[in-house]
Amino acid sequence: MSKVEIVGPRQLLGETLSLVRQEGDLHIEPSAVGFVDDIHKQEVHSLLPDEKALFEKIFLEEFESKLHNLFACLPPAMIRESYLSPRPIIDTVSRTLDNHLAMCRSLCDKRDAIQHDLLELSGYKSFLSSVSTLLDKIQLTPDLDYIGITLKDEKSVDILRNNLNCLADASCELFTMPAEDGAMVGLIAATKNISQTIRSLLSQKQMPEFKFPESLQTMTFIAKVEYLQKKIQESEKALQTVEAELEKFTHRWGPMYQAAHAWVREQLSIIQVSAFSFETAMCFFIYGWMPAEKVTSLSTSLQRNFAGSVVLEEIEIRTEDLDRVPVFLQNPQYFKPFENFTRLLPLPSYTSFDPTPFIGLFFPLFFGLILGDAGYGLIVLLLSSLSTRLARKNKLFMDALSILKVCSLYAIIFGLLYGEFLGNFGHNVLGIKPLLIDRQKNIIPMLYFAMAVGLAHVTLGLTMGFVSALRRHTKKEALVKLLNIIFIFLIVALIITFIGFFPELMTRPLIISILLLCPFLLFSGGLLAPLELLKNIGNIISYARIMAIGLTSVLLANVANQLSGLTGDIILGLIVGGIIHLISIIIGVFSSSIHSLRLHYVEFFDKFIELGGRKYRPFSSNQKKQNQTGISDSESKQQEKLYERPSQSS
Amino acid sequence: MDTVWIAFAAALAIGLPAIATAWAQSKIGAAGAGSLAEKPELSGTVIILVAIPETMVILGFVVAVIILLGG
Repeated sequence: MSKVEIVGPRQLLGETLSLVRQEGDLHIEPSAVGFVDDIHKQEVHSLLPDEKALFEKIFLEEFESKLHNLFACLPPAMIRESYLSPRPIIDTVSRTLDNHLAMCRSLCDKRDAIQHDLLELSGYKSFLSSVSTLLDKIQLTPDLDYIGITLKDEKSVDILRNNLNCLADASCELFTMPAEDGAMVGLIAATKNISQTIRSLLSQKQMPEFKFPESLQTMTFIAKVEYLQKKIQESEKALQTVEAELEKFTHRWGPMYQAAHAWVREQLSIIQVSAFSFETAMCFFIYGWMPAEKVTSLSTSLQRNFAGSVVLEEIEIRTEDLDRVPVFLQNPQYFKPFENFTRLLPLPSYTSFDPTPFIGLFFPLFFGLILGDAGYGLIVLLLSSLSTRLARKNKLFMDALSILKVCSLYAIIFGLLYGEFLGNFGHNVLGIKPLLIDRQKNIIPMLYFAMAVGLAHVTLGLTMGFVSALRRHTKKEALVKLLNIIFIFLIVALIITFIGFFPELMTRPLIISILLLCPFLLFSGGLLAPLELLKNIGNIISYARIMAIGLTSVLLANVANQLSGLTGDIILGLIVGGIIHLISIIIGVFSSSIHSLRLHYVEFFDKFIELGGRKYRPFSSNQKKQNQTGISDSESKQQEKLYERPSQSS
Repeated sequence: MDTVWIAFAAALAIGLPAIATAWAQSKIGAAGAGSLAEKPELSGTVIILVAIPETMVILGFVVAVIILLGG
């Protein structure tokens, strides 16, 4: 990361910020601390906006608000890019916007009113459709009264038919048919003198007559049906007309207003960022940070656009600046998916290390050591490869599958070393023999091996912590880390001597060395240093989980094989074995991932990672971010959580 | 009889830390879930906090293995 300042004449500030935004690499520093010497502090002060800038800001904010209101009215549609540059015509656009906004609002209100009407009429639609079919079937006469009803089902129709005494003497008739919503629609045609009696009967039997709107009470049944049908048709036609008008407007004016919106957003962001600029009587200053490899590109752009009037200068990063340097992740393609694990923690400081490569190397290794089954590895590899096509649109899912593929390869390798293929199935049926060790029978050697892995991992962490402390020039901390490494090796050597792998003669020199180093540890690390040492030893023992969880995984696989064998039937055995193996795979993948991750977060990272880094947020347009990364806006926001390793940026 | 006592000791060595770990994780997990509802960015810290008590049961397991096989 480079510390830079951009200097130029005050009148070129807006154009310079516009160019900086276009390049999109500069993280602008709002404070001048660390950039301006004490001697020049009086001359350089924060840029205060003048009256013109304030008016411009108010105008642009109002304009943006109007554009938002306009876009809220318009239907979502694919629109072309504008051929016009909004800057020269912004005054004209501003005037037309008022008229267009009023017109669109009126259309929107009209659309909302029609939609509201249609929503209310939708309750009648199903009934009207069925009843009009029934009316078409019968001969309509003015001497008869018609009563519409909705019935729950066929059973209700039978009940009604039994209760209508008029059916016997043919003074009334009942027609029914199923409605679109699944209910039954009924139409009773009756002579006018008995229609009131039928209505009372329906009310008594809790089969009320179909209710039409209150405003239509004076109309006859047939007139009501015709009126409502006509109204629905008219409303639907009117809605289509309004929507077509809005769509036409969107296609005609949308590109221009969208371009104007982008321009307004750019201007507003420039005004906002100009508050982070500084000025003297003649010049402006912009301070910030940017990736070292991008400095030349921005410097050349400034030189080309302003003919040397605006200059970019690189400033030396001092020790006191290190806490303020923003950071982002920058890793090779293989490690990119593992950055998701790193992002679960706060950002490390600039002087610390990016933990992603370490996770990328050790996470699959621990996963393989724990799961260690060639059959399970193959199944996971197959499933993750097949799922790749489904996950194309989801970056996080794609990353998870990439990690799973690498992990499954390690599981296959260790499965062959342990001689495991679906537990003991490979050994019993396929005759697979362990290439290295049978972990079911060699529990104690596996325990030693797991702790040896822990010793190597924790020592690596402490070594990185030692290097990191030296970089920060904190010699005392570096000494504590170094002494911890020496102590751990001495204690391990002592334990090995007690077990009998080393000659007993070594016991005394080892104990003397430990006792001699104790005062150094206390003086360099204080009273808490022995506790820190104990914690480190506890961390190494914690790696025993590699063997413990691995053992449970293989035992569960063996249980699946035994149970499937006990069924005494091939098909049933396959089903039982398949289900238990599937459960075992899910548990195996989940627990292996969680415990591998835990070994990194708790046991490894706290030895050398110093958290609390500042996020690198370049001043740029969203469009540029999307072009650079090829991902959506929301994802590009997530990408801002990146930080880079100091070795690559400094 | 000795075998019974050895098995009982191994069971206690892993059983008691397992109960302790479960109790600690239930408390930390509940608090962690509450924290995550308000601040999702704390997920890394919550995983670490939930994972810390697991060391107890791992140590218990190591002791149980030593009792059963090392003795």
